[in-house]
Amino acid sequence: SAAARRPWRLFGAMCLLRLPRITQPLEKEEEEMAALMEQIELEKSHYSDHEIRKLEEEEQLKRRKESLYDEDEAHGKTVIMAQDLEEKWEQKFLQFKAAPRITDADKSSDWTSLNRKLDSNLMLLVKQKIGNQELWLLPQVEWQPGETLRSTAERAMATFLGDHIQAKVLGNAPYGVYKYKFPKAIRTEDNVGAKVFFFKAFLQSSDLSQAELKADYLWVTKKELGDYLKSEYLKKVNRFLLD
Amino acid sequence: DALLGCHRSYRSRPTHGIGKFKYLLPKEVPKKRKEKVQMKEIIAGTEYQYGDVNIQMTSYDLCLVEHFAQYVHRLCNRLSIRVNESYAMPTKTNEVLFLEERGSKMQLDAVLTTHQRVVQIRGLSSTFAPILLEIIQSNQPEGVHLLVKQHTEADFKSRLKSRPELEELLAQMS
Repeated sequence: SAAARRPWRLFGAMCLLRLPRITQPLEKEEEEMAALMEQIELEKSHYSDHEIRKLEEEEQLKRRKESLYDEDEAHGKTVIMAQDLEEKWEQKFLQFKAAPRITDADKSSDWTSLNRKLDSNLMLLVKQKIGNQELWLLPQVEWQPGETLRSTAERAMATFLGDHIQAKVLGNAPYGVYKYKFPKAIRTEDNVGAKVFFFKAFLQSSDLSQAELKADYLWVTKKELGDYLKSEYLKKVNRFLLD
Repeated sequence: DALLGCHRSYRSRPTHGIGKFKYLLPKEVPKKRKEKVQMKEIIAGTEYQYGDVNIQMTSYDLCLVEHFAQYVHRLCNRLSIRVNESYAMPTKTNEVLFLEERGSKMQLDAVLTTHQRVVQIRGLSSTFAPILLEIIQSNQPEGVHLLVKQHTEADFKSRLKSRPELEELLAQMS
């Protein structure tokens, strides 16, 4: 397989995504629509068992106050009234506190934590040295002959995050390519430029305490990518990112 | 007189069979009785294509699950992926009892129903599968569990109900 040695160096890069944990907030029209639909459904719906029971017991109470011949009906009366049940449920509900949507990490804009934006995808960016420049990139590692590109990408992930990462790589096919030529100073006959193949993976566990992070790293959303990546690189990366 | 006057179209008369029209209508296939539900062939995937894939969605909330199943079905239609079937599994009802020890011993009941919808897909190419997965995963509503797996015989059998009396009789016969 040494027909013509390609002058391109191959790299495999891994785009590690943390899936959103909460749904995105509704738009204004969506909220109005939802409220309207709820009202329509409420007015159209029938009474449930609990509500019927409540109404009957209210009637019984009324009759009791007005007339006094309820001794016979007292046999079939239940100990717990529907009203009491409702009050108990309300109290329980008040005790329940939902977790905040905007976490501490958001307020302090801590870019290295995973708890930042819980309703959008977060991607891992690492600072790497290429040539003599330090750039923010998706973690990448050079391809060695004899291994598949997907294992290169997994190796890239492992070098930057340690071996105990629980990430699920999606498929064997790369998602995007970025090729660039080296500046003329370094260019030789064999090394004209490099091609970077991107793979995607989902982060399964949200716990990174076991990972040993060796370089500077950031978790950024798609919009904030523009602040860190170069424009050409960004264009190719944006092509395969869903939001 | 009226009896003798009527001309009944008897077989010897030339007007025999004058009112027939059924031969003009298109042929109707006779209605079959209910056949035993046969299992359709389950295709195993080749290297570049998945065979039958089941996307199972479970949740406590009926409306969410149904709407999500409809959304997935329509998505596959738009992406021209062939959808074999989309059916619902029987709902499971769970009763949750709270036992309160403090004060008087009370039992609060809660009745939870679990609903499941399945969309069966055929002909998913291996380059496209991860994209589809990602789309479905990112559009999951809250409270809905997603499970994507290959279709097996056991999955098909789980839809059918077993008839213990029939089995008993068969066992008695043999």
